[in-house]
Amino acid sequence: MTDNMTENLTENEVTAEQTATQQNDIATADNVMKKKDIDAVAKRQRVVKIFVQIGLYVFLGIMAIIVLFPFYWMLISSVKTVSEYNRTIPTMWPEQFKWDNYAAAFKADGLNLGQLFLNTCIVGIVSTILSLIITVLSAFAFARLEFKGKNILFAALLATMMIPGELFTITNYVTVSDFGWLNTYTVLIVPFLVSVFYIYLLRQNFMQIPNELYLAAKVDGSSDLKYLWKVMIPLAAPTLISITILKMMGSWNSYVWPNLVASDTAHTLITSGLRGHFTTEYGTPDFPAQMAAVVLVTIPLFLVFLFFRKYIMRGVSRSGIKG
Amino acid sequence: MAKTSTKNQWKAWLYLLPALVILAVFTVWPIINTVRMSMLKDYNGLAMIGGKTFEFGFDNFKSVVEYEGFANALGNTLLLCVITVPISTMLALLIAVALNSIKFIRKAMQTIFFLPYVTNSIAIGMVFMAMFSMIGGSATLEPDSVGLINNLIVACGGKAINWVNMGSSKFANMAVLVIYIVWNALPFKILVLLGGLQGVNKQYYDAAKIDGTSRFRTFWRITVPLLSPMIAYVVITGFIGGFKEYSSVVGIFGETMGPTGTDATNNMNTMVGYIFDSLKENNQGGASAAALILFAIIFAVTMVNMYVSKKKVHY
Amino acid sequence: MKKKLSAIVLAGMIACMSLGGLIGCDLGAKAKVKDFVMPKDGFDTTKQVEIKFYHTMGQSKQKILANYIAEFNKLYPNIKVDASRVFGKYEDVRDTIVTEINAGEQPNLAYCYPDHVAMYNEANAVLPLNDFLPNGDFKDMTLTRTDGTTEPYCYTQEQKEAFFEAYYNEGFQFGNGKTMYTLPLAKSTEVIYYNKTFFDANNLTVPTTWDEMEEVCKLIKDGDGTTAALAKDKTPLGYDSEANWFITMCEQYNSPYTSATGKKYRFNNDTNKKFVTRFKGWYDKGYVITSATNNNAYTSSLFTEQKIYMCIGSSAGASYQMPDRVTVGGQSVRPFEVGIAPIPQIDKTKPKAISQGPSICIFKDNDPQKVLASWLFSKFLTTSIDFQAEFSFDSGYAPVIKTATENAIYQQGISEADGYDNLIQLAVKTCMENSSSYFTSPAFVGSSRARDEVGKLMAAVFSGTKNVNDAFKSAVSTCEHFAK
Repeated sequence: MTDNMTENLTENEVTAEQTATQQNDIATADNVMKKKDIDAVAKRQRVVKIFVQIGLYVFLGIMAIIVLFPFYWMLISSVKTVSEYNRTIPTMWPEQFKWDNYAAAFKADGLNLGQLFLNTCIVGIVSTILSLIITVLSAFAFARLEFKGKNILFAALLATMMIPGELFTITNYVTVSDFGWLNTYTVLIVPFLVSVFYIYLLRQNFMQIPNELYLAAKVDGSSDLKYLWKVMIPLAAPTLISITILKMMGSWNSYVWPNLVASDTAHTLITSGLRGHFTTEYGTPDFPAQMAAVVLVTIPLFLVFLFFRKYIMRGVSRSGIKG
Repeated sequence: MAKTSTKNQWKAWLYLLPALVILAVFTVWPIINTVRMSMLKDYNGLAMIGGKTFEFGFDNFKSVVEYEGFANALGNTLLLCVITVPISTMLALLIAVALNSIKFIRKAMQTIFFLPYVTNSIAIGMVFMAMFSMIGGSATLEPDSVGLINNLIVACGGKAINWVNMGSSKFANMAVLVIYIVWNALPFKILVLLGGLQGVNKQYYDAAKIDGTSRFRTFWRITVPLLSPMIAYVVITGFIGGFKEYSSVVGIFGETMGPTGTDATNNMNTMVGYIFDSLKENNQGGASAAALILFAIIFAVTMVNMYVSKKKVHY
Repeated sequence: MKKKLSAIVLAGMIACMSLGGLIGCDLGAKAKVKDFVMPKDGFDTTKQVEIKFYHTMGQSKQKILANYIAEFNKLYPNIKVDASRVFGKYEDVRDTIVTEINAGEQPNLAYCYPDHVAMYNEANAVLPLNDFLPNGDFKDMTLTRTDGTTEPYCYTQEQKEAFFEAYYNEGFQFGNGKTMYTLPLAKSTEVIYYNKTFFDANNLTVPTTWDEMEEVCKLIKDGDGTTAALAKDKTPLGYDSEANWFITMCEQYNSPYTSATGKKYRFNNDTNKKFVTRFKGWYDKGYVITSATNNNAYTSSLFTEQKIYMCIGSSAGASYQMPDRVTVGGQSVRPFEVGIAPIPQIDKTKPKAISQGPSICIFKDNDPQKVLASWLFSKFLTTSIDFQAEFSFDSGYAPVIKTATENAIYQQGISEADGYDNLIQLAVKTCMENSSSYFTSPAFVGSSRARDEVGKLMAAVFSGTKNVNDAFKSAVSTCEHFAK
């Protein structure tokens, strides 16, 4: 980041607290400089460093507020009354907290939150595991193995991403119906196991790993799979975990397809269940109750993320073989 | 790249087998079907069941291209792509680097940037309404509320802008859409780039520090090249996603795809929006033809992107 | 390298295309279902049969439905009705069924709007009901129910005459006009909700014609030259649906809108341009606001917040027109009284108001027992006085049979109707009293597109982005592009 940008950011929208800290820091820095001219260069470097750090926090702070705003909105909406929510001028803070929305989410008749949750977990976990296996194998083949037509095949795979998938709905519906898969877990899992997006992402990651390691492993006589398991997967762990999270979120948020192919209660997924349940028959949702339910089901996801976060963030630089 | 002996080729195919089988059934077959439908004039699955036959030819393509709303949708889509992909990539890169170079409350910050993932999409849509939309008012009455953003602008001494309401300019509409799309795209890009950054060897930075290289230079000469595979990925998939933009427009403008008073010739509709319009009338022939035209465009752009990245990406 | 690659991918695409072209004509045909033929022994009351019913009913209506399914099962214990709710709007029901028809997985009966049926009919998927009408082919056949009573397969003459004629005839509006495809289930119309408290305080009369409407708006907004405006800073009138407004005006002027045969889109004519221009004038003077010009929000919330004094909207939306209770002097009260009246007319002697609300259609099935079971169930719902009455007060939809008025629940509800807490009852009452004025517009593939486009046309003219001529031209060309 340039110093110029840092200054711009500090001059602009800084919260009062941050401004105060910053001024103290500058003041301290100035005093130090006046006292000891000899160390001026070193000090200037420190000042720059402090500036940069402050700039970083301000930048991140502003971006964080922007990014967090919808989340905040979701929370306050979940405790509004329907009429406050529908108010033509939205309120930024609920006038009265209607915690009943949460109770309603639990108690709503015919809504078996536990069943929805279980279905979603089964679909989410199974499809994530299978999808990871398929993705890893494919990405490995594309990143490390040589075979005829590799580039063409890869280009063709990329090309499949380019047609809007909504067009496939009817054809795929006919296919799964021919297979007799309607209203099963299979139909919720199998059609979306392969994502070229993820294969591509992982391939990029695998290609960063130096080839010498692979050759060395070959010389040692390790099998491909062993090499994949022992070296590639640990090195690509952050990407794999990103994929895991994205895939889980996908199961959590999928709506159109599950609604179409598995509409029976035994297989309904959480988003279909919630969206439908808190929708009036005119198609206008009871947003506050829906938001409350969404917040409730978001909590487990958030915890999963917190659990995985350290793996994503830990990185693999310490292993010292990355280049 | 290593040369594996030819006899090991089957191994590669074996690894790819599960992916290829599933793709063949659920992606390739529908694509073939799409091509088929595009070649049959005004194809409609229901009418086919009803026993109707369709003329074979390129009429669907002709009808799509000649329709005045199509040029509008194409123009909007191209413009959105060209603007949003560089902005969101750059911003995501800056945030990822910033997240990677702070120590205090780092964990908290990283968690914050993940939260949009677990935010309900309806909430995001509602927020945008509250932020940009003016509320109330009519031909003779002033609006009751000019919206959050306008309140900010007014507080800073500016003049309220009509962002998305009736009579708003295309420029303002585009600006809001760009912000919305960038906002939506950020978390994923940050996650991918952050993942990539974790993989960058700290030794490079240590070396740069000893040399006294400036931060800016370090960023351009070390971070960007080392991250280039991930940047290439983010850009290429960003373009592919950008060409398929649709839900953001619905999120802001609703099914009319533009502020009140606009129609197919001047609204903010996109290519995929046009495809949906055709599907709504069950005109799968027209929808397929439009999808293939879109495919051809994305394909050309991706080829250019791949060509550039082949030159620049440092594996 | 890249050139070669593109060439190969291109070649692949061409191969796909030719392959696709070759196999073009056989796909999908497998899903075709047989026409219904009455089994020799009629409906088998001993064999278990399950039928699937798609609807969009909310919680409370589902409960009512469940009660009546139980009632129905007392007569036919072997019929299991699997009522499943399609979440969202009526269009979502349509989209789901369209996809399912492609795979032959459609339900046995469903909520429908006429244009949906026009679409399903492209696949010949909907059962024609003529044989089941009085004097139909099955008129002499009866079956014995579990309780020992017998039931004819057809509607009796009496049952037919119990229907409001306009609703019953709606089922015939397809193609030749002689085949019935849909049965009315519950109906609504557009009414004016007005702020009765405000009207009474200012001695205003509720307008019955559009000219009177203009005068009332003028009084409220501008005053009549001698008196001051009653509320200069308010908008007198809100109209929820521009499309309904346009279609209703076409009907009131007896001017062409659409046609199921011949040239489909006929609304580009001088009469229609004239009324659109007139209402544009109202809009400019601040007399009226519509949902599109109100940032796509229903005008009902403006009404409950007393920002407008009249609101034309669906009678089925009465619950949204009820103002929230406020506390005055320690008591919780509604801030004003709501009145409901029929919509203004051009010619008071020939009143016209749009008819909306779900009908039911039955799908063909290879199993004739399922078709018969679906018919018996539809017949039950459409002729049960109790169901019709109870269902209507839950929603503001009016019953489709006149005899529902005989029901005790209905009579009690109507007697309680008022402009405060019992607004739904008042809406049903108004709706029932004006049933002779109801019309429906022709149903064909593309009729919903026409609706969308005339709505947008009004919005474009009001907002001034297009002049009247351009707006009409562009609406017709969009209709013709998407639904030829």
